[in-house]
Amino acid sequence: MEIVGVDTGGTFTDFIYKHENKWGVYKILSSPHNPAQSLLEGLKHTLKTSEFKIIHGSTVATNAILERKGAYTALITNKGFEDVIEIGRQNRMQLYNLHYKRQPQLVSKELRFGLDCRINSKGEIIKDIDETELEQIKRVLEKIKPESIAVCLLFSYLNPKHELFIEQSLEQLKLPISLSHRILSEFREYERASTTIINAYVSPKMKRYIKNIIDDIGGNELRIMQSNGGSISAEVAMQEPVRTILSGPAGGAVGAYEIGKMAGYTKLITFDMGGTSSDVALIDNKLPLAFESKIADFPVKVPMIDIHTVGAGGGSIAYLDAGGSLRVGPESAGADPGPICYGKGDRITVTDANLYLKRLVPEYFLGGNMRLDEEKLKMHFENMAKEVGLDEIELAEGILDVANASMEKAIRVISVERGFDPREFVLFSFGGAGGMHAAFLAKLLHIPKVFVPQNPGILSAIGMLMADIIKDYSLTVMLKNESTDFKQIKSLFKPLDERGIADLEKEGISKSNIVLEHYLDMRYLGQSYEIMVPYDEDYTNRFHALHKQNYGYSDENKKIEIVNIRLRAKGMPEKPEFAVMEYDKTTPDADAILGTKQVVFDSKEHKTTIVAREKLKHGNVVESPAIVVEYSSTIVLPPGSTGVVDKFGNIIIDVEGGSNEA
Amino acid sequence: MKPNPIMLEVFKNKLSSVSEEMGVSLNRTAFSPNIKERRDFSCAVFDDKGDMIAQAAHIPVHLGSMPMSVKEAIKHHQFEEGDMVVLNDPFKGGTHLPDITIVAPVFIKESDKPVFFVANRAHHSDVGGMSSGSMPLATSIFQEGIIIPPLKLVKKGEIDKQLLSFFLNNVRTPYEREGDFLAQIMANITGVKRMKELIDKYSIDTVEFYAKNLINYSESIMRKTIKQIPDGTYSFEDFMDGDGIEKEKIKIAVKITIDKDKAVLDFTKTDRQVEGSINAVYSITLSAVLYVFRSLVKEDIPTNAGCLKPIEVITKKGSLVDAAFPASVVGGNVETSQRIVDVILGALSKALRGKIPAASQGTMNNVAIGGIDERTGEPFTYYETLGGGMGASSNLKGESAIHSHMTNTLNTPIEALEYSYPFMVEEYSIRKNSGGIGKFCGGDGLIRAIKLMSDAEITVLSERRLLAPYGLNGAKSGKKGKNLIVRNNKTEEMPHKFNTKVKKGDVLIIETPGGGGYGKENS
Repeated sequence: MEIVGVDTGGTFTDFIYKHENKWGVYKILSSPHNPAQSLLEGLKHTLKTSEFKIIHGSTVATNAILERKGAYTALITNKGFEDVIEIGRQNRMQLYNLHYKRQPQLVSKELRFGLDCRINSKGEIIKDIDETELEQIKRVLEKIKPESIAVCLLFSYLNPKHELFIEQSLEQLKLPISLSHRILSEFREYERASTTIINAYVSPKMKRYIKNIIDDIGGNELRIMQSNGGSISAEVAMQEPVRTILSGPAGGAVGAYEIGKMAGYTKLITFDMGGTSSDVALIDNKLPLAFESKIADFPVKVPMIDIHTVGAGGGSIAYLDAGGSLRVGPESAGADPGPICYGKGDRITVTDANLYLKRLVPEYFLGGNMRLDEEKLKMHFENMAKEVGLDEIELAEGILDVANASMEKAIRVISVERGFDPREFVLFSFGGAGGMHAAFLAKLLHIPKVFVPQNPGILSAIGMLMADIIKDYSLTVMLKNESTDFKQIKSLFKPLDERGIADLEKEGISKSNIVLEHYLDMRYLGQSYEIMVPYDEDYTNRFHALHKQNYGYSDENKKIEIVNIRLRAKGMPEKPEFAVMEYDKTTPDADAILGTKQVVFDSKEHKTTIVAREKLKHGNVVESPAIVVEYSSTIVLPPGSTGVVDKFGNIIIDVEGGSNEA
Repeated sequence: MKPNPIMLEVFKNKLSSVSEEMGVSLNRTAFSPNIKERRDFSCAVFDDKGDMIAQAAHIPVHLGSMPMSVKEAIKHHQFEEGDMVVLNDPFKGGTHLPDITIVAPVFIKESDKPVFFVANRAHHSDVGGMSSGSMPLATSIFQEGIIIPPLKLVKKGEIDKQLLSFFLNNVRTPYEREGDFLAQIMANITGVKRMKELIDKYSIDTVEFYAKNLINYSESIMRKTIKQIPDGTYSFEDFMDGDGIEKEKIKIAVKITIDKDKAVLDFTKTDRQVEGSINAVYSITLSAVLYVFRSLVKEDIPTNAGCLKPIEVITKKGSLVDAAFPASVVGGNVETSQRIVDVILGALSKALRGKIPAASQGTMNNVAIGGIDERTGEPFTYYETLGGGMGASSNLKGESAIHSHMTNTLNTPIEALEYSYPFMVEEYSIRKNSGGIGKFCGGDGLIRAIKLMSDAEITVLSERRLLAPYGLNGAKSGKKGKNLIVRNNKTEEMPHKFNTKVKKGDVLIIETPGGGGYGKENS
């Protein structure tokens, strides 16, 4: 059987496939208007057999929200609380904007219906549903014809009776209905409603998209990547598409985690530099999870890989601001017009600065298939250098310094600010442009090593192939710790466990390959943030210890609340293995050396070796200064650094010994 | 020497990182929900004279007042390495007593005087005084809590235990306070450490040079911003509903003179300070001025001393906007600050036609409820502020049910509220048609109706219940807010500031003001 990982996230749709121990890579221009088109087209090139399995990272749900092209969605909630989703947390996202405007709502006022029923904080029904009132709402719905319905009632996770009754009553409408207690069984009504609405809003579109693919692949298995770093069946993805929101970068993090682990590195800071922004994540022996994210300012409370994004990428534009400071980004030249050197742009970008310093080698950029205009660049650099009052080289290096400073700041946020010392980590660099900056960034943060995997341009797709099947479940229980115990909590987990096992069995995982991980969200009484604690006999002590680690103190005398219970059900599919290269020798073969070039480092030209990545073998040492080129990425080894190729073909760069430049 | 544009940008990043990392440290280690969740704190870096270089953007009302704390600390003390000074005295660099500031010097080997300072300020949820939560309807500062003049809390790295214990014996929640103090000290230690790392890497001369140039940078952009305001004199006045004790309709007046790239704001026509707790000390007025002018700047600039250099603020000591000892000031911070913003924007609307929005709700609607929870027999105290309507702009409807201007704290979710307190929320909605009608309508206020499930005591500090938020260019004002209590099915309208006892089953309904509209309807 062949397995294929497909990532439709970027300008290109990336494929990686494995058939009978042979790996293959394929790229095709994406078709944003209909992503299925490039996916199906690419499959024709990559499929060698009629039996296959696809794991797919899709941006359909994410884009439906960003472009506001989701379903015409109605909301049913409690009477008097129809505006909760508009009020949100009553704060504004920009402090100094006198004309602040919220994002337009996904469900407009006339599509929000209040039902006079109520459940209290103990799960007791205070007021039952009035069926004639519900009938009336149903008649209005029949008239205005929404495409999808979200239902979110107060305390529904304690008592789902009313939500289930509404679902049943509206069955005849034959519309997809998202119930809040199913999507997110946790307290905090605004976040739960927002997550449920997003699910309802994207579900018709996701359904059509997935059906379209399924129809074409004739009974073969399709799995969809989730934002939590695991995959789910196409069936579940159609029901709960909210779990795929922002799943693109998750593939990259999973890929980094798995490949790093294989090569013996379990403490990684991942660095994915794209065109408009860069993503960073910190992996300390496990994938980092966040339990609340935002898309277009709307909260989405499903578990997600914790990734921090900064608005600096290859396309970020450099300019001198009104106060005389050189800024880089967040405005980006994007794909169109793109950097100056691509031909159409007329504002200097980070990519242009790399090319100006010769760190980008035009002959080998995208296999030499794309012409880079160095002439045009010259004039722009001369003009801007005059404006800034520096020489051109200083300007180009300065642009990179400024871009690196903002990426350094992003890494500090996920490391230093969270109590991690970056020096203990390896900088795992991927994406097309990451390799040009990684060694410099590592120096700024005193990170000793940079890790560049094979095929850094398609790491997300690789990660999809390696992802576990993961289903996350949670339930708000709000228990006082002193009046509960290990056994009672275990009984609360039971229905979740049963559901998790049943769901994974449906995904084709046998019981013996299912791993159930249990967690508790705990807090000191009076706090309103929780810490996720692994659930075992010792959970109370674990909580105190984790609280001390995270927040600097703990107090055994304080009362504790158990807010949520969480189940992570994992199915471990067979993972594709990478081939191991035989040890060759330290000196690369002659055909790996493509020539030399004068490249600027520290304001001076250095004779620099150009190396072909595909010709490098296990054990080869790349002496600096060097530039390692491959089809979709460029790796810069500045003076003082050394690269070594490991048995999987990864390049590990030792940046120590280099100068401590700004 | 001219600053290098690249180094200027790099230092902008580095110095803002220092204050942001202080904030993360404070937030991580703080004890109380008020600091952790409502994020009621600020951190900043200062030069050797106490001029602010960079601040992490947290709470606008702290903006102008932090440097005054640092300057007072410098004035009163000789610093040695490892010292820290604490203060909250509103008449010596503070704002109101719950806001406690801790200042630390940065020393290097080559100098026996501090080369920089770092400081942070956090809102402590109790500092003693006449009512729990320390936000009372007071008539003198002595009723509001313990007053801390600038004192050395840390001497050469050692905490002064006697001083600390004296303070902790005067507050209701000493345990929590001690935890928050330690967090504030930790945040300063982080700040000092980061500043030293910067100096080690770049040399003291370079760091000082770019710190100075970052102040110049913000100043030059602020000057450019002011230059775009037409020269002239623009006046505006508006009123506070009252102090809740002796007086209603208290005037705040400003006369703004724009002269090329300079602005003078003259508040001397403002009424005298009052008995009730809505007096604002000078630093709050300064914060409101800085907030408004910082909002006029389009660029993303560091908020620092440079922003205020082209601006002069004139007040009369003993007035509502420059309260003198021993005025009660706790509400000046949360309510009067909003009206000061209203009058500054009102005056500027005459200069920058079409660019300034109408008045927003102009209050924070402070609600405090306390009592014994029948379900558990335990005492509870609840404090929250409520959003309202934003003023409309010349091309935009005002946003509804949102916090504006000097605050940006979060609400408490209904499900969280009903778990923690003996409350049943009956309604939480947008107050329809409360925004001022105009070509563009003001944002609507909100309605929060809370049914008490236990007997309780309610304190409300609110504004815009008597005098509505103004509209601009011929539009109507926003609707005034309303405070209602339903007892035995009878609805009673309460004043803008009140304290009352309620029974189980009674309902508190707060309807917050709408924002003013912009432009004549149908025009």
